[in-house]
Parts: sequence; structure tokens; C-alpha cells
Amino acid sequence: MRKLRHFLVEVFGVIGTLFADDSAKSTMIVGILIYSVLYPQPYVGEVLRDVPVVVIDQDNSTASRTLVREIDVTDLVDVTMSAPDMETARNAFFRRDVYGIFVIPAGFEADILASRPAPVAAYSDGSYLLIYSNVMRAVATVAGTMGAQVNYARLTALGVDDGVARTMLSPVAVTNVAVFNPQGGYASYVIPAAFVLILQQTLLMGIGLLHAGRRPPTGERLWATITAYFALYMVWVAFTQILIPYLYSIPRTGDLATLLLISVPFICACIAMGFAIAMAIPWREGVVFLLVVIGMPLFFLSGISWPVEMIPDHLRTLSLLVPSSTAISAFVAVDQMGASARDVAGAIQTQIVLVVVYSTLAVALSRLPRNRR
Amino acid sequence: MRQIAARPSLAFMLVPLPLILFLMLAVIFAPGLPRDLPVAVVDLDGSTVSRQIVRMADAAADVEVVEQLASLSEARQALVAQRAYAVLLIPAGLEHDILLGQGPEVVVFSNSQFLTAGGIVGRSLSATVSTFSAGVSLRLLEAQGVDSDRAMDLITPIPVQQSPLFNPSLDYIQFLLTAIMPTVLQIFICATAVLSFSRDHHSPNGMPRLQRIALSPTRAILGKLLPYTFVGTFVLLLGDVLLFNVFDASFRGNVFVFFLNGFMFVLTCQAMGALIALIAKDTTGALGMMGLIVAPSFGFAGVSFPRFGMTLFSQIWGAIIPLTPYLQLRTDQTLRGAPLEYSLPTMGWLFAQLLVFSALLWVMTRKTMAQIPVSENATVKTQESKP
Repeated sequence: MRKLRHFLVEVFGVIGTLFADDSAKSTMIVGILIYSVLYPQPYVGEVLRDVPVVVIDQDNSTASRTLVREIDVTDLVDVTMSAPDMETARNAFFRRDVYGIFVIPAGFEADILASRPAPVAAYSDGSYLLIYSNVMRAVATVAGTMGAQVNYARLTALGVDDGVARTMLSPVAVTNVAVFNPQGGYASYVIPAAFVLILQQTLLMGIGLLHAGRRPPTGERLWATITAYFALYMVWVAFTQILIPYLYSIPRTGDLATLLLISVPFICACIAMGFAIAMAIPWREGVVFLLVVIGMPLFFLSGISWPVEMIPDHLRTLSLLVPSSTAISAFVAVDQMGASARDVAGAIQTQIVLVVVYSTLAVALSRLPRNRR
Repeated sequence: MRQIAARPSLAFMLVPLPLILFLMLAVIFAPGLPRDLPVAVVDLDGSTVSRQIVRMADAAADVEVVEQLASLSEARQALVAQRAYAVLLIPAGLEHDILLGQGPEVVVFSNSQFLTAGGIVGRSLSATVSTFSAGVSLRLLEAQGVDSDRAMDLITPIPVQQSPLFNPSLDYIQFLLTAIMPTVLQIFICATAVLSFSRDHHSPNGMPRLQRIALSPTRAILGKLLPYTFVGTFVLLLGDVLLFNVFDASFRGNVFVFFLNGFMFVLTCQAMGALIALIAKDTTGALGMMGLIVAPSFGFAGVSFPRFGMTLFSQIWGAIIPLTPYLQLRTDQTLRGAPLEYSLPTMGWLFAQLLVFSALLWVMTRKTMAQIPVSENATVKTQESKP
């Protein structure tokens, strides 16, 4: 009992040291708090709405005006101007007043009435994929619906029976159901993943700041140090994986036991890696510099925004050395998709292997004469 | 320069490290477009028709059918365990219902938590089913005695010609990689500026020495930053060579404006980094503060989620970060090939940032150089008080 109390005193001593070190405090505590406010800001809108587009209506008929109105009422785009010719539209496009151009050629209504195909054209910027997809979805949906009405009228005019006309035009229906993130929200997609990386980076940095180039703690002090970091970061796991989604109204479905099963080995792996880095690079600024610059590339190795299947095998294998490469998608699977421990077993195993690898490495490095001073 | 050479680890972090990261990112995005992404199929019909749909889905370039599952609950498991990005559910009695004209429904469940991959496979599977449906429709119309050309016209009465401008294949190299590289470099440039200024500002006799050598704030700033300016510009150029020569990213703009933009970007980042170094209390604190400001800038720059869809705060925050105007001008002068007059406001914006950051830096440098006696004593004291 006394031993335990003594140990707890040591643990609080370590936390005290952490608070006394300005850099470590601003990384491991204040930094995460600032991130939790700042980082989600660009994405709080969740879904992109009302992309400004320009319309060139060369037909100016009832049919063309209906088409324009229908496009305008969708959530996806907003018809903010109408241009007489391509020149004016291009001008607005280059000035970034609009992000899509929608052209209805002359003779649109006449073609429809004459039962000929009545083509329309849509242009948008392929270098901004989210914008492009909004513009094209709006035009395709509206043109499809209007086309179906036109067709139906034509077939029934030919004397085809009502029900038969319907099945002839769409013999097989297709429905696309988006699961786990039903509205396709950008914040729901990026925030749960990003905060796993933020936890890893700040923990590695904090350990670097407190231990790089210094004599490593030994004996009871070492275990107290590890316990302190572990306890602190389990609080941060709860904060970033439960409270932040709640504050930003991001739906989460996972159960806490599974979250614990992935976060415990993940935090342990980060602590072990942190000590290995601190022992390997005895230069505090160097540790921070390295970790700040590799953060973003690490995110693209996690498979969230770019599928892991597309990452070459060698690089993928190499990336497994960093806890976040498997942990990010495992956290997302647990929190956002309700995965069970069995579904993320691979990631959990990887984390455990990393704990062993980096602990061994850290111990080996700490025996170097440089670290024994 | 001597400082850089004296520290091999610093030298490593300046040139090889960003290049290694550039190469790594290039390797990640090298395919340009995701292909053969895994999907699962739940075929409850098991008919000739349903097998045809599955074959068509598999034949699409972006999708590969990796599993045939018996039930929807198994399919859900495949989605959760990330063995598949989407599930194609073909209902029982599909063939029968088509023959009877009962309009059966095929459902695509796509994982939208993985927005890119889920979106691609979802669209691809839906398109496959629509194509299949159009084929059936064509046969039905022909059976009614409509000739095949006319039947084609009937199926798509309002065809939409969809034209992606500037990036015709919707390639991720053009969309993401060209934006990520400068973002990573921005962090490098700011960090080196922080390190170079902090070394003097936060060491006990650094500022007086700087004062002795440089005599004036302007000379001090230039002397400290210029070597890094050259290194930064050089690395930026190497990255661009990689993009435009190896990946054939399109370049339609004005080469001179493009270089000027890159050079101004490097200078602005440096001024910002150095300013942070002078504001912060110590070197690691400055690096941390820099990380907080610069690391999330990719989101604010509006490449993935556009700026006009953001809150006012995010728009303002994005506007003061050098990356935002740089990337906008870069897109104008590479992909878009925009006439110069449209790029002038953006250039003005980047230039304004440069002026403001430099002016603040100059004021701060002069202030710290002027209060040397005070700060010298202060730093000596804090040195003593530390064990």
C-alpha cells in the first residue's frame, strides 16, 4: 500500500515536471486544446452547398428556363449569374466568381418537341474535385429527371400503356446508400482521423522535449513516467474521440470497451516510440522539427483520404513502423463504423508488436555511452 | 551558411529530408487515380442476369469484386473490417422481376466514412447498374418495334456533356499532390526560419553578437534568412521539376510569374517563421507555436474543402497564411493557364502578406536588438535559476 502511494507520488511528480516545462506543457496540453478548436474550423460546414455557377441560356425558352430553375433549387449549386456568351462566363470563372459553367444551346426546346436528343453541357474545375462533383451531380440529376418526364410523355403519346412505359424506361432501379457517414460530411470524415494523428505527434514531441539529450529515467521513476504519460493520454483519447465528436455533432457509434482495446496498445506504442526517438536524436529542436514536418505525409499513409490499396507494398510495410498508419483507420472503424475487436484485431496486433520493438530499441539506445552520461 | 555546414543533422533536415518526403508523397499518389478498389457482392438471385451485372461491375477500371457473400450481415462485416469499400446487393428474383416488368431495385451500400474510396466505388457501381438497365430498356423498346437508333435517343433525351476543365482525368496528382508538396515545404521554410532566428534570440549573447556583426535590423534579417531563402527556393524548384517532368503535371501559365510566386512564397513563410521566433519565449516553444499555426493550413487553404463553403473565421484565418494565395496563384498559373490580369489580385494579396510580415519582423528585430542590456541580464538570470 505504501509502495503504491509512493509510486503515485512519483507519477504526480512527473506530471508536475511536465507542467513546469513550458514547451512540453504547450505541446501536450495547451496544443491539443488549441487544435481541438482550430483544426475543425474549415470543415464545420460538413457538406458543400450552393456552389456558385453561371448559366449561358442560348435557347431562352420555357423548357430551358425550367431546367435552370430546377438546377438552382438543388442544394448543390446556386445559379448566381447568367451570361450572354462564353467569353463573359470564362471571365467570371477566372475571377473565381463562379466555379461552374452550364450551357443550354439554342434549339433545346425545339429538339425536345421534335423528339430529338437535346444535349446540354456543363463545365467545372477538375482540379477541385469536391466542387466538380457538386456541379456535375446537380446537372446530371436535374437533366435525368427532366429527361424521364419527357420520355414518359413521349411513350404514353405513342399509345404505350402507363405502367409499361415506366418499366421500359427504368427496368432496374439503383439506389446508392451511403453508410457510416450518411450525409457524406467532410468533418465526420476528416476530424476523427486527424485527432488520432494529433495525439501521436504531440505525445512523441512531448517525450522528445522532456527526454531528448537528457539522462533517461530509471527504475521506479521510469515506470512512474510511463504511467503519467499513459494516464494523461488516455484522458486525451476520451477527449478527442468522445467529447470532440459530440461538440462538433459528428455521429459516433462505437462502444467504449473496443475503443479501450485499440487505444491502450496505441498509446503504449507511441510512448515506446517517443522514448526511442528521444534516445536516438539527442537534440530537442531536431525532434520537434522532424515531427512537425512529417505529420502531414503520415496522414496520407493512413488510408483515410487515399486508399491503402494504392500505396505500393514496400512503402506500406515501411509505414507500419509508425503507430498511426494502422491505428487511424482502426479508431475510425471503432468509433464511426461500430467495429468489434475482431474487426480491428490486425491493427491491435501491429500496435503490440510496435510496443515491443520500440521498447527494445529505446532500452538498447539508452545504453549508448552518449545517453549514459 | 557556416552554421548549416557545422551541423550535419540540420543540413540533413534542410535538403534531403524534404526531398525524401516529396518522393514518398509522389510514390503514394503515383497511380493518379485509384483503380481496382475492393468491393463485395451479395447476389441473392444467382441468375444469368445477376451474374452479368457482377461481371460488368468487375470489368470497370476502378472496381474489383473481391468477395461474394451470402448475406447482408456478412457484407456489413466486410465493410467494417475494410475488406471492401462498398457492397452491391442484388435482390432475389431479379431476373424474374425484370421479365415481368416489376422494376426490381439493386442497392449499392458505399462506405462514406472513407470519402474518396467510398465515393469512387459507389459511383462506379451505380453507373454499372444504370448501364445495365439502359441495355435492358433498349431491348424492350426494340421489342416494341422502335428501331435501335431511335431507341437510343429515347433513353437519354437530355444528354449532359460533362467537361472537367484543366484536369480532364480528375487525376489526384493534379488535385492533391501539387498542393501537398508546397504545404509540406511551407512547414520546412517556417521551421528553418524559426531555428535560425531562435538560435540568436534565445541564447544569452546572441542578439548583441548579431548587433555587432550586422549593425542594422535590415542587414541582420537578410543575413540570417537569405541562405535559407536560396535553399528553400531550390527545394521548391526540385519538387516542381519532379511534378512537371516526371508526372507530367500540366503547366499552362507564365513561367516568370510562377517563379516569382514561389520566391515570394518562400520569403513570406520566412518572415512569418522569424516573427514567430521573436515572439516566442524559447526555440522549442517557437517551433511548437509555428506548428500550431502552420500545420493545419492545408485545410484552410481550401484545396479539399473550398474556402467559399467555410465560416467567416476560417476564411480570415486562411487569408493570413501564405499558403492560401500561393496555391491559388499556382493553380491559376499552372493548371488553369489564366491570363495574367486575373492573377494580379492574388499576387497583390501574397505581396501584402510579405510586406506586413516583414514590417512586423523588422520592428520586432529592432526592438529586441535595442533592449539588449535588459534581455541579456534577464537571460543570464534565467540561466542561473535553472539547475
